[in-house]
Amino acid sequence: MSTLSKVAELIAENAGVDAKEITMDTTFEELGLDSLDAVDLVMACEEQFSVTIEMDEALKTVGDVVRLIDSQKA
Amino acid sequence: MVKTRLCELLGIEYPIIQGGMAWIADARLAAAVSNGGGLGLIAAMNADAEWVRNEIRKARELTDRPFGVNIMLLSPNAEAVAKVVAEERVKVVTTGAGNPAKYIRLWKEAGITVLPVVASAGLAKLVERAGADGVIAEGCEAGGHIGELTTMTLIPQVCDAVNIPVVAAGGIADGRGIAAALMLGACGVQVGTRFLVADECGIHENYKARVLKAKDIDTIVTGKRLGHPVRSLKSPFSRQLFSMEYDPNYSNEELERIASGSLKRAVEGDEKQGCFMAGQSAGLVKKAQPAAEIIKEMFGEAEKILGSAGQWIK
Repeated sequence: MSTLSKVAELIAENAGVDAKEITMDTTFEELGLDSLDAVDLVMACEEQFSVTIEMDEALKTVGDVVRLIDSQKA
Repeated sequence: MVKTRLCELLGIEYPIIQGGMAWIADARLAAAVSNGGGLGLIAAMNADAEWVRNEIRKARELTDRPFGVNIMLLSPNAEAVAKVVAEERVKVVTTGAGNPAKYIRLWKEAGITVLPVVASAGLAKLVERAGADGVIAEGCEAGGHIGELTTMTLIPQVCDAVNIPVVAAGGIADGRGIAAALMLGACGVQVGTRFLVADECGIHENYKARVLKAKDIDTIVTGKRLGHPVRSLKSPFSRQLFSMEYDPNYSNEELERIASGSLKRAVEGDEKQGCFMAGQSAGLVKKAQPAAEIIKEMFGEAEKILGSAGQWIK
Protein backbone atom coordinates (compact mmCIF):
# COMPACT_ATOMS: atom_id res chain seq x y z
CA MET A 1 0.00 0.00 0.00
CA SER A 2 1.46 3.36 -1.00
CA THR A 3 2.10 6.15 1.48
CA LEU A 4 -0.54 8.23 -0.26
CA SER A 5 -3.25 5.65 0.17
CA LYS A 6 -2.36 5.18 3.85
CA VAL A 7 -2.38 8.95 4.45
CA ALA A 8 -5.61 9.23 2.47
CA GLU A 9 -7.17 6.60 4.69
CA LEU A 10 -6.08 8.47 7.82
CA ILE A 11 -7.59 11.65 6.47
CA ALA A 12 -10.77 9.88 5.45
CA GLU A 13 -11.10 8.50 8.95
CA ASN A 14 -10.52 11.86 10.62
CA ALA A 15 -12.18 14.28 8.24
CA GLY A 16 -15.06 12.08 7.11
CA VAL A 17 -14.28 12.34 3.40
CA ASP A 18 -13.93 9.65 0.73
CA ALA A 19 -10.36 8.35 0.62
CA LYS A 20 -10.68 7.70 -3.14
CA GLU A 21 -11.10 11.37 -3.82
CA ILE A 22 -7.83 12.35 -2.16
CA THR A 23 -4.84 12.92 -4.45
CA MET A 24 -1.34 14.32 -3.92
CA ASP A 25 -2.64 17.72 -5.03
CA THR A 26 -5.57 17.87 -2.63
CA THR A 27 -5.09 20.81 -0.28
CA PHE A 28 -6.01 20.85 3.40
CA GLU A 29 -8.25 23.76 2.56
CA GLU A 30 -10.20 21.70 0.01
CA LEU A 31 -10.67 19.04 2.65
CA GLY A 32 -12.15 21.67 4.94
CA LEU A 33 -9.27 21.29 7.41
CA ASP A 34 -8.21 24.37 9.34
CA SER A 35 -4.75 24.85 10.80
CA LEU A 36 -5.62 22.99 14.02
CA ASP A 37 -7.06 20.04 12.06
CA ALA A 38 -3.84 19.99 10.03
CA VAL A 39 -1.79 19.76 13.24
CA ASP A 40 -3.80 16.74 14.38
CA LEU A 41 -3.52 15.10 10.97
CA VAL A 42 0.24 15.56 10.86
CA MET A 43 0.58 14.12 14.36
CA ALA A 44 -1.54 11.12 13.42
CA CYS A 45 0.76 10.55 10.42
CA GLU A 46 3.82 10.76 12.68
CA GLU A 47 2.40 8.08 14.92
CA GLN A 48 1.40 5.81 12.06
CA PHE A 49 4.68 6.07 10.14
CA SER A 50 7.07 6.65 13.08
CA VAL A 51 8.51 9.80 11.50
CA THR A 52 8.89 13.39 12.66
CA ILE A 53 7.25 16.02 10.52
CA GLU A 54 8.07 19.67 11.10
CA MET A 55 4.80 21.51 10.99
CA ASP A 56 4.99 24.78 9.12
CA GLU A 57 3.09 27.03 6.75
CA ALA A 58 4.70 25.32 3.74
CA LEU A 59 2.56 22.23 4.36
CA LYS A 60 -0.47 22.86 2.19
CA THR A 61 -1.29 19.67 0.33
CA VAL A 62 -1.59 15.98 1.08
CA GLY A 63 1.39 15.50 -1.24
CA ASP A 64 3.55 17.77 0.95
CA VAL A 65 2.96 15.41 3.88
CA VAL A 66 3.40 12.24 1.80
CA ARG A 67 6.73 13.46 0.38
CA LEU A 68 8.01 14.30 3.88
CA ILE A 69 7.08 10.85 5.14
CA ASP A 70 8.70 9.12 2.15
CA SER A 71 11.89 11.16 2.46
CA GLN A 72 12.28 10.02 6.06
CA LYS A 73 11.43 6.40 5.41
CA ALA A 74 13.93 6.17 2.56
CA MET B 1 -2.02 31.92 49.55
CA VAL B 2 -2.68 30.23 46.23
CA LYS B 3 0.70 28.89 45.10
CA THR B 4 1.30 26.69 42.06
CA ARG B 5 4.24 25.57 39.97
CA LEU B 6 3.62 28.51 37.66
CA CYS B 7 4.81 30.83 40.47
CA GLU B 8 8.16 29.02 40.58
CA LEU B 9 8.46 28.69 36.81
CA LEU B 10 8.00 32.43 36.23
CA GLY B 11 9.30 33.83 39.52
CA ILE B 12 5.99 35.48 40.38
CA GLU B 13 3.87 35.81 43.51
CA TYR B 14 0.40 35.06 42.09
CA PRO B 15 -0.11 32.53 39.26
CA ILE B 16 -1.63 35.03 36.86
CA ILE B 17 -0.49 36.30 33.47
CA GLN B 18 -1.91 39.42 31.86
CA GLY B 19 -3.10 38.82 28.31
CA GLY B 20 -0.94 40.07 25.43
CA MET B 21 -3.62 42.36 24.02
CA ALA B 22 -2.53 44.10 20.80
CA TRP B 23 -2.47 47.92 20.93
CA ILE B 24 -3.32 47.69 24.63
CA ALA B 25 -0.68 45.71 26.52
CA ASP B 26 2.22 48.17 26.71
CA ALA B 27 5.12 48.71 29.11
CA ARG B 28 2.99 50.62 31.60
CA LEU B 29 0.28 47.96 31.96
CA ALA B 30 2.82 45.12 31.94
CA ALA B 31 4.89 46.75 34.67
CA ALA B 32 1.80 47.43 36.80
CA VAL B 33 0.74 43.79 36.62
CA SER B 34 4.24 42.59 37.41
CA ASN B 35 4.51 45.03 40.30
CA GLY B 36 1.20 43.62 41.53
CA GLY B 37 2.74 40.15 41.74
CA GLY B 38 1.53 38.71 38.42
CA LEU B 39 3.28 38.47 35.09
CA GLY B 40 2.74 41.48 32.85
CA LEU B 41 3.05 41.17 29.09
CA ILE B 42 3.92 43.61 26.35
CA ALA B 43 2.10 42.84 23.10
CA ALA B 44 4.43 42.99 20.12
CA MET B 45 1.47 42.67 17.70
CA ASN B 46 2.46 44.03 14.25
CA ALA B 47 4.89 46.56 15.69
CA ASP B 48 8.45 46.76 14.45
CA ALA B 49 11.30 45.32 16.47
CA GLU B 50 12.65 48.65 17.72
CA TRP B 51 9.27 49.62 19.19
CA VAL B 52 9.29 46.33 21.08
CA ARG B 53 12.84 46.92 22.30
CA ASN B 54 11.83 50.36 23.58
CA GLU B 55 8.81 49.01 25.41
CA ILE B 56 10.95 46.31 27.04
CA ARG B 57 13.38 48.97 28.24
CA LYS B 58 10.54 51.20 29.43
CA ALA B 59 9.08 48.32 31.42
CA ARG B 60 12.48 47.66 32.99
CA GLU B 61 12.47 51.24 34.28
CA LEU B 62 9.03 50.71 35.80
CA THR B 63 9.58 47.34 37.46
CA ASP B 64 12.34 45.09 38.76
CA ARG B 65 10.07 42.08 38.52
CA PRO B 66 9.80 39.62 35.64
CA PHE B 67 7.57 40.43 32.69
CA GLY B 68 7.11 38.99 29.22
CA VAL B 69 6.43 39.77 25.59
CA ASN B 70 3.62 38.31 23.49
CA ILE B 71 4.64 37.68 19.89
CA MET B 72 2.02 37.44 17.18
CA LEU B 73 3.54 34.93 14.80
CA LEU B 74 1.64 36.21 11.77
CA SER B 75 3.22 39.63 12.16
CA PRO B 76 5.47 40.61 9.26
CA ASN B 77 8.00 41.57 11.95
CA ALA B 78 7.77 38.29 13.90
CA GLU B 79 11.28 37.17 13.02
CA ALA B 80 12.90 40.49 13.95
CA VAL B 81 10.91 40.69 17.19
CA ALA B 82 11.89 37.08 18.00
CA LYS B 83 15.53 38.18 17.84
CA VAL B 84 14.98 41.32 19.93
CA VAL B 85 13.39 39.44 22.83
CA ALA B 86 16.36 37.05 22.79
CA GLU B 87 18.85 39.94 22.75
CA GLU B 88 16.99 41.69 25.56
CA ARG B 89 16.66 38.40 27.47
CA VAL B 90 13.11 39.00 28.61
CA LYS B 91 11.93 36.52 31.21
CA VAL B 92 8.98 35.08 29.30
CA VAL B 93 7.70 34.91 25.75
CA THR B 94 4.14 33.94 24.89
CA THR B 95 3.13 33.41 21.28
CA GLY B 96 -0.12 33.63 19.40
CA ALA B 97 -1.49 32.76 15.97
CA GLY B 98 0.52 29.69 15.11
CA ASN B 99 3.36 27.34 15.88
CA PRO B 100 6.52 28.97 17.29
CA ALA B 101 8.68 25.83 16.97
CA LYS B 102 11.30 27.45 14.75
CA TYR B 103 12.09 30.15 17.34
CA ILE B 104 12.07 28.06 20.49
CA ARG B 105 15.76 27.11 20.37
CA LEU B 106 16.84 30.72 20.01
CA TRP B 107 14.71 31.70 22.99
CA LYS B 108 15.80 28.79 25.18
CA GLU B 109 19.43 29.70 24.54
CA ALA B 110 18.64 33.20 25.82
CA GLY B 111 17.19 31.69 29.00
CA ILE B 112 13.63 32.64 28.09
CA THR B 113 10.62 30.71 29.37
CA VAL B 114 8.37 29.97 26.39
CA LEU B 115 4.59 29.71 26.74
CA PRO B 116 2.71 29.39 23.45
CA VAL B 117 -1.02 30.13 23.42
CA VAL B 118 -2.86 27.10 22.03
CA ALA B 119 -6.48 26.38 21.16
CA SER B 120 -6.28 22.59 20.79
CA ALA B 121 -4.69 19.56 22.45
CA GLY B 122 -2.85 18.71 19.20
CA LEU B 123 -1.10 22.07 19.04
CA ALA B 124 -0.25 21.79 22.74
CA LYS B 125 1.45 18.44 22.09
CA LEU B 126 3.30 19.86 19.12
CA VAL B 127 4.76 22.81 21.04
CA GLU B 128 5.60 20.59 24.02
CA ARG B 129 7.66 18.45 21.70
CA ALA B 130 9.32 21.56 20.28
CA GLY B 131 10.50 22.50 23.77
CA ALA B 132 7.86 24.85 25.17
CA ASP B 133 8.00 25.25 28.97
CA GLY B 134 4.24 25.38 29.30
CA VAL B 135 1.14 26.29 27.33
CA ILE B 136 -1.58 28.85 27.69
CA ALA B 137 -4.77 27.08 26.63
CA GLU B 138 -7.29 29.68 25.59
CA GLY B 139 -11.00 28.99 25.28
CA CYS B 140 -13.31 30.90 22.97
CA GLU B 141 -14.82 32.92 25.83
CA ALA B 142 -11.77 35.12 25.42
CA GLY B 143 -11.70 38.44 23.59
CA GLY B 144 -9.79 39.06 20.39
CA HIS B 145 -8.74 36.16 18.15
CA ILE B 146 -10.25 32.92 19.36
CA GLY B 147 -10.50 29.19 18.67
CA GLU B 148 -13.53 26.90 18.80
CA LEU B 149 -13.36 25.13 22.16
CA THR B 150 -14.58 26.52 25.46
CA THR B 151 -12.25 26.85 28.43
CA MET B 152 -14.29 24.25 30.33
CA THR B 153 -13.63 21.58 27.70
CA LEU B 154 -10.23 22.68 26.41
CA ILE B 155 -8.29 22.85 29.68
CA PRO B 156 -8.80 19.26 30.88
CA GLN B 157 -8.11 17.89 27.38
CA VAL B 158 -4.90 19.87 27.07
CA CYS B 159 -3.91 18.80 30.59
CA ASP B 160 -4.39 15.17 29.53
CA ALA B 161 -2.35 15.70 26.36
CA VAL B 162 0.81 17.27 27.81
CA ASN B 163 3.08 17.03 30.84
CA ILE B 164 4.15 20.67 30.90
CA PRO B 165 2.24 23.27 32.98
CA VAL B 166 -1.05 24.48 31.52
CA VAL B 167 -2.32 28.01 32.07
CA ALA B 168 -6.06 28.55 31.55
CA ALA B 169 -7.32 31.54 29.59
CA GLY B 170 -10.68 32.69 28.34
CA GLY B 171 -13.60 33.73 30.52
CA ILE B 172 -11.68 34.22 33.75
CA ALA B 173 -12.25 37.54 35.50
CA ASP B 174 -12.67 36.76 39.19
CA GLY B 175 -11.70 34.33 41.94
CA ARG B 176 -14.36 31.85 40.91
CA GLY B 177 -12.74 31.57 37.49
CA ILE B 178 -9.33 31.02 39.06
CA ALA B 179 -10.66 28.32 41.37
CA ALA B 180 -12.43 26.58 38.49
CA ALA B 181 -9.31 26.75 36.30
CA LEU B 182 -7.24 25.07 38.99
CA MET B 183 -9.89 22.36 39.38
CA LEU B 184 -9.73 21.71 35.63
CA GLY B 185 -6.03 21.00 36.00
CA ALA B 186 -4.48 24.36 35.13
CA CYS B 187 -1.71 25.77 37.32
CA GLY B 188 -2.54 29.39 36.65
CA VAL B 189 -4.65 31.79 34.64
CA GLN B 190 -4.25 34.38 31.94
CA VAL B 191 -6.60 37.33 32.19
CA GLY B 192 -7.14 40.02 29.58
CA THR B 193 -10.57 41.60 29.76
CA ARG B 194 -10.47 42.55 33.44
CA PHE B 195 -7.16 44.36 32.97
CA LEU B 196 -8.75 46.53 30.27
CA VAL B 197 -10.18 48.66 33.06
CA ALA B 198 -7.01 48.69 35.16
CA ASP B 199 -6.00 52.27 36.04
CA GLU B 200 -2.66 51.66 34.33
CA CYS B 201 -4.28 50.52 31.09
CA GLY B 202 -3.97 53.32 28.55
CA ILE B 203 -7.02 52.65 26.35
CA HIS B 204 -9.55 55.45 25.78
CA GLU B 205 -12.21 56.04 28.45
CA ASN B 206 -14.90 55.17 25.88
CA TYR B 207 -13.43 51.66 25.64
CA LYS B 208 -13.30 51.24 29.43
CA ALA B 209 -16.86 52.52 29.80
CA ARG B 210 -18.09 49.94 27.29
CA VAL B 211 -16.38 47.10 29.15
CA LEU B 212 -17.79 48.24 32.49
CA LYS B 213 -21.28 48.53 31.03
CA ALA B 214 -21.24 45.18 29.21
CA LYS B 215 -23.61 42.41 30.25
CA ASP B 216 -23.21 38.67 29.73
CA ILE B 217 -24.71 38.71 26.22
CA ASP B 218 -22.87 41.77 24.97
CA THR B 219 -20.09 40.17 22.91
CA ILE B 220 -20.21 39.04 19.28
CA VAL B 221 -17.88 36.97 17.09
CA THR B 222 -16.97 38.34 13.67
CA GLY B 223 -14.40 37.19 11.13
CA LYS B 224 -15.58 33.58 10.92
CA ARG B 225 -15.95 33.77 7.15
CA LEU B 226 -12.37 34.98 6.87
CA GLY B 227 -11.13 32.07 8.96
CA HIS B 228 -9.99 34.14 11.94
CA PRO B 229 -12.85 34.71 14.36
CA VAL B 230 -12.59 37.67 16.69
CA ARG B 231 -14.69 38.36 19.79
CA SER B 232 -15.56 41.95 20.57
CA LEU B 233 -18.25 43.97 22.30
CA LYS B 234 -21.47 44.44 20.37
CA SER B 235 -21.62 47.84 18.72
CA PRO B 236 -23.20 49.21 15.54
CA PHE B 237 -19.82 48.59 13.87
CA SER B 238 -19.40 44.97 14.97
CA ARG B 239 -23.05 44.16 14.26
CA GLN B 240 -22.71 45.60 10.77
CA LEU B 241 -19.54 43.61 10.17
CA PHE B 242 -21.33 40.50 11.39
CA SER B 243 -24.23 40.90 8.97
CA MET B 244 -21.93 41.75 6.05
CA GLU B 245 -20.28 38.36 6.47
CA TYR B 246 -23.55 36.73 5.49
CA ASP B 247 -23.98 39.03 2.52
CA PRO B 248 -22.41 37.59 -0.64
CA ASN B 249 -22.29 41.09 -2.14
CA TYR B 250 -19.30 41.84 0.06
CA SER B 251 -16.01 40.24 -0.92
CA ASN B 252 -13.57 38.87 1.64
CA GLU B 253 -11.18 41.66 0.68
CA GLU B 254 -13.79 44.27 1.52
CA LEU B 255 -14.48 42.63 4.87
CA GLU B 256 -10.76 42.55 5.65
CA ARG B 257 -10.45 46.19 4.68
CA ILE B 258 -13.29 47.28 6.95
CA ALA B 259 -12.06 45.24 9.92
CA SER B 260 -8.45 46.26 9.49
CA GLY B 261 -7.32 48.86 12.01
CA SER B 262 -10.61 48.71 13.89
CA LEU B 263 -9.03 47.60 17.20
CA LYS B 264 -6.60 50.49 17.08
CA ARG B 265 -9.50 52.85 16.44
CA ALA B 266 -11.30 51.40 19.49
CA VAL B 267 -8.23 51.94 21.65
CA GLU B 268 -8.29 55.56 20.51
CA GLY B 269 -11.95 55.82 21.46
CA ASP B 270 -13.59 55.79 18.00
CA GLU B 271 -17.17 54.79 18.88
CA LYS B 272 -18.28 54.57 15.24
CA GLN B 273 -15.54 52.55 13.52
CA GLY B 274 -13.82 50.91 16.47
CA CYS B 275 -13.88 47.18 17.27
CA PHE B 276 -13.86 46.98 21.06
CA MET B 277 -12.36 43.57 21.67
CA ALA B 278 -13.29 41.93 24.97
CA GLY B 279 -14.15 38.49 26.28
CA GLN B 280 -17.44 37.12 27.55
CA SER B 281 -16.19 37.88 31.04
CA ALA B 282 -16.76 41.61 30.37
CA GLY B 283 -20.09 41.17 32.16
CA LEU B 284 -18.15 40.25 35.31
CA VAL B 285 -16.00 43.37 35.20
CA LYS B 286 -17.65 45.94 37.45
CA LYS B 287 -15.14 48.60 38.40
CA ALA B 288 -11.93 50.31 37.45
CA GLN B 289 -9.07 49.52 39.86
CA PRO B 290 -5.29 49.52 39.94
CA ALA B 291 -3.88 46.30 38.43
CA ALA B 292 -2.37 45.24 41.76
CA GLU B 293 -5.75 45.55 43.46
CA ILE B 294 -7.42 43.45 40.74
CA ILE B 295 -4.90 40.65 41.29
CA LYS B 296 -5.19 40.76 45.06
CA GLU B 297 -8.96 40.77 44.98
CA MET B 298 -9.16 37.86 42.52
CA PHE B 299 -6.82 35.68 44.54
CA GLY B 300 -8.52 36.60 47.82
CA GLU B 301 -11.77 35.29 46.35
CA ALA B 302 -10.12 32.19 44.91
CA GLU B 303 -8.53 31.34 48.23
CA LYS B 304 -11.87 31.58 50.00
CA ILE B 305 -13.62 29.37 47.47
CA LEU B 306 -10.86 26.76 47.37
CA GLY B 307 -10.64 26.80 51.16
CA SER B 308 -14.28 25.87 51.52
CA ALA B 309 -14.28 23.24 48.77
CA GLY B 310 -14.31 20.52 51.43
CA GLN B 311 -17.99 21.25 52.02
CA TRP B 312 -18.85 19.32 48.86
CA ILE B 313 -17.40 16.08 50.17
CA LYS B 314 -19.74 14.23 52.51
